[in-house]
Amino acid sequence: MEHVFDLLIRRIWLSLLVLVGVSVLIFLIARVIPGDPARIALGPNATDEQVFKLRGELHLDEPIWKQYGYFARDLVHGDLGTSLYTNRPVVEDIIQFLPATLELVIAAGILMVLIGLPLGIISAKYEGRFLDNLIRVIALLGVSAPSFVWAVILMLLFAFFLPLFPIAGRIDTDYDIVRTTGFLLIDTLLMGNLEAFTNALWHLFLPAFALALSGIGQAARLTRANMTETYRKPYIEMADSYGFPKWRIARKYAFKPSLIPSLTIIGLDFAAMLGNAFLVEAIFAWPGLSRYGVAVILRKDLNAIIGTVLIISAAFLIANLVVDLLIAILNPRIRHGR
Amino acid sequence: MHRLTKLLLTTSLVAFAGLSAYAEKVLRLDEVAVGELDPAKASDYADTILMFNVYDTLVIPRQGGPGLVPHLAASWEGEGTSYTFKMRDDVQFQSGNPLRAEDVVFSFERMQTIAQGLSFLFVSVDSVEVVDGNSVKFTLAEPYAPFISSLVRLPIVDKKLVMENLGEGDGEMGDWGQAFLSSNGAGTGAYIVTSHNPQEETVMVKNPNYFLGIGEDAPDTVRLRYGLEAATVRTLMAQGEHDITSQWLPPEVMRALVEDGNQFLTEGGTGAFYFKLNTQKPPLDDVNCRMALANAFDYESVLKLIAITDEVSSGTGSTGAIPVGMFGSNPAGNEQQRDLDAASQNLADCAYDPNEFEIEITWIAEVPLEERLALLFQANLSEIGIKSTITKVPWALFSSSVNDPVNTPHVSQIFVTAVTGDPDTLLYGMYHSTKAGSWQSPEHLNDAEVDRLLDLGRTGASDEAREEAYSALNDRLLAIAPSIYGFDRQSVFVARPNINIPALTDPDYAFGLDTMGFAFRLMAIE
Repeated sequence: MEHVFDLLIRRIWLSLLVLVGVSVLIFLIARVIPGDPARIALGPNATDEQVFKLRGELHLDEPIWKQYGYFARDLVHGDLGTSLYTNRPVVEDIIQFLPATLELVIAAGILMVLIGLPLGIISAKYEGRFLDNLIRVIALLGVSAPSFVWAVILMLLFAFFLPLFPIAGRIDTDYDIVRTTGFLLIDTLLMGNLEAFTNALWHLFLPAFALALSGIGQAARLTRANMTETYRKPYIEMADSYGFPKWRIARKYAFKPSLIPSLTIIGLDFAAMLGNAFLVEAIFAWPGLSRYGVAVILRKDLNAIIGTVLIISAAFLIANLVVDLLIAILNPRIRHGR
Repeated sequence: MHRLTKLLLTTSLVAFAGLSAYAEKVLRLDEVAVGELDPAKASDYADTILMFNVYDTLVIPRQGGPGLVPHLAASWEGEGTSYTFKMRDDVQFQSGNPLRAEDVVFSFERMQTIAQGLSFLFVSVDSVEVVDGNSVKFTLAEPYAPFISSLVRLPIVDKKLVMENLGEGDGEMGDWGQAFLSSNGAGTGAYIVTSHNPQEETVMVKNPNYFLGIGEDAPDTVRLRYGLEAATVRTLMAQGEHDITSQWLPPEVMRALVEDGNQFLTEGGTGAFYFKLNTQKPPLDDVNCRMALANAFDYESVLKLIAITDEVSSGTGSTGAIPVGMFGSNPAGNEQQRDLDAASQNLADCAYDPNEFEIEITWIAEVPLEERLALLFQANLSEIGIKSTITKVPWALFSSSVNDPVNTPHVSQIFVTAVTGDPDTLLYGMYHSTKAGSWQSPEHLNDAEVDRLLDLGRTGASDEAREEAYSALNDRLLAIAPSIYGFDRQSVFVARPNINIPALTDPDYAFGLDTMGFAFRLMAIE
């Protein structure tokens, strides 16, 4: 386990370096997008004097290295500046919008694991048969259509033609939820309001499923491919010839080694969903960070762009870290430093 | 037993009737994000809906006709550079604080200090002061006739409440209450904000102490949602979970919703769509060449392009630079017509050979409709032998490139709206030579007669004098064609059939100001 701990420390340092690099890069990129942020923020009717004043407040007339200095100084104090889009502190916006996206993405991640991996296992077990072909078609459909297409299709099927699920928002307006964590599923449980919890879960299902479908397909295909390859390994043949039970061969000798590549992909998919969820969020009127991120890019809201990108980058790094740790735990060669 | 059953039944019926009578009337509508709640920063449509419902102004547009009427002011007097408003004494803010003249002074100073939103409308104001206890006097640096109409964009905030909630900032006034007012209301308006998330939803309830009273059928609660997708709105409306759409829905979705039994709402008369011609760039620096383009443009086809149904359209025929109904406009019935013979003659009189030029037509990337309009214009130009190219330009790039006539394209497409309903806020920024080179004025027009008439419109002593000036200006702008006046803009919304909004369905109740039709107190849910 000592090696796992070393790996963790090394990865944390590396992640911090990457975050600094990302902050410099996004700071520069945000400033070369065409258009004057002050002019865009103040709207088409603003006078030159108004624009000049705001440019001064944003330090836009100063050298770029100085601007980065101001940004880094404020960042150390936990201040990401004010959003020109919402006219509120960016940190406040992130605190408001991030839990909604995290809740959505975590739910999608859980669906991805709970549905994608078993589908892959079943598909590998029944390789070449009807069930395998059916699962492969479903997986291919999931992978080939983007999540926003699924969002619209699912909404049409299960909210419009068959009104089984709600169309928009995170919870019905009848519930007055006390915000503690921003995660509605947790906040409703903290309030002891099971009815509201069920309602929030009901609202969460369709957007999470739409977001997860591509990942489900990917996880199923990858797990199937890895497991069918593993099933052909000599040690599986040996275990089979020794008369080991089928389920034990599948679980212990075939699934475990096949899980490592799937886990890597699921981890990356999970982090990528934070940024890619914006269309699903837009369709289901989900007030999340992803939708906010796209809006601030279109408005060239410099502070908010940097804040959002830093959060998404941090999520990527954390997801990678967790995946590396899980792989280290699953793979004895890494665990024991061999 | 029989009597007991009857008694129970009667009691149930009475209780049900009571519940029905007091059933909460909820209005749900949507707009483009974000909803800016601070009235000093309000400029977009959503911001303005919030502003007109949470706050009040000294004057408001007259319903069903031109002009303004007192609102928070009981009356006003003055002309030239001095105007005094006597305040009503029966108004109180939503906080319970009474409205005083010093709230007006504070609101003005706050807006000018923050210098965002539409604060530029008041640059001519030299000072604002309380006089005679409950009156307020505005002194202007120079005569500015549209001043009174500008006051529809000066919402009055509760000074006492804001002072109690000042945030950190430079100087004695801190942040002037910006942090507080970005999530709380502090007005006298008919609706009180109960929750506000600028990217998700603002919830408002009726103000029981509103000084004008609010009808029983007006919504008790309003939920203004932000940034809903067309597919979401379509589904919500079909399930009866949404009441009024935004104006940004695709026409086919609007059509489908109306086919489902919903109704159209319209609001117009304050803006228009223009093809703006760069008057400093050859060959369009020659008036004959510009006139050739104006005469070649197919004004009838453009109306078909923007039609939603046979009866309802996103625009009406243009009669000139000023939309029909505004000061100085030509009346309906005088719509511009295509005249290819005249266009050919104009081209023959032009100092340039059209074969030597290729006209660059741009369209704003964020407005897909403009691509279709550009294609139509290109086809029109090819009919008179003028070559053209079409370029897609993001708004941010467009607005920064038009500063210099050299970088400004030959033809730019822009929607412009008079933010106060007065033609000055529509025309001065577009055509006065001192304002050339902004997003509104890629024409770079420099015409002494136009300047004179615009200045006359600003200083005219009476409505009649101003109308005469704008009428002459309209004629002049038609004669020198710095723009092609494509169509008068009309905003179209779809509402459920039980929503009654006379201001958006009946011209006799319409306000000559964008967004004012969304005063919830004047709506009825049946």
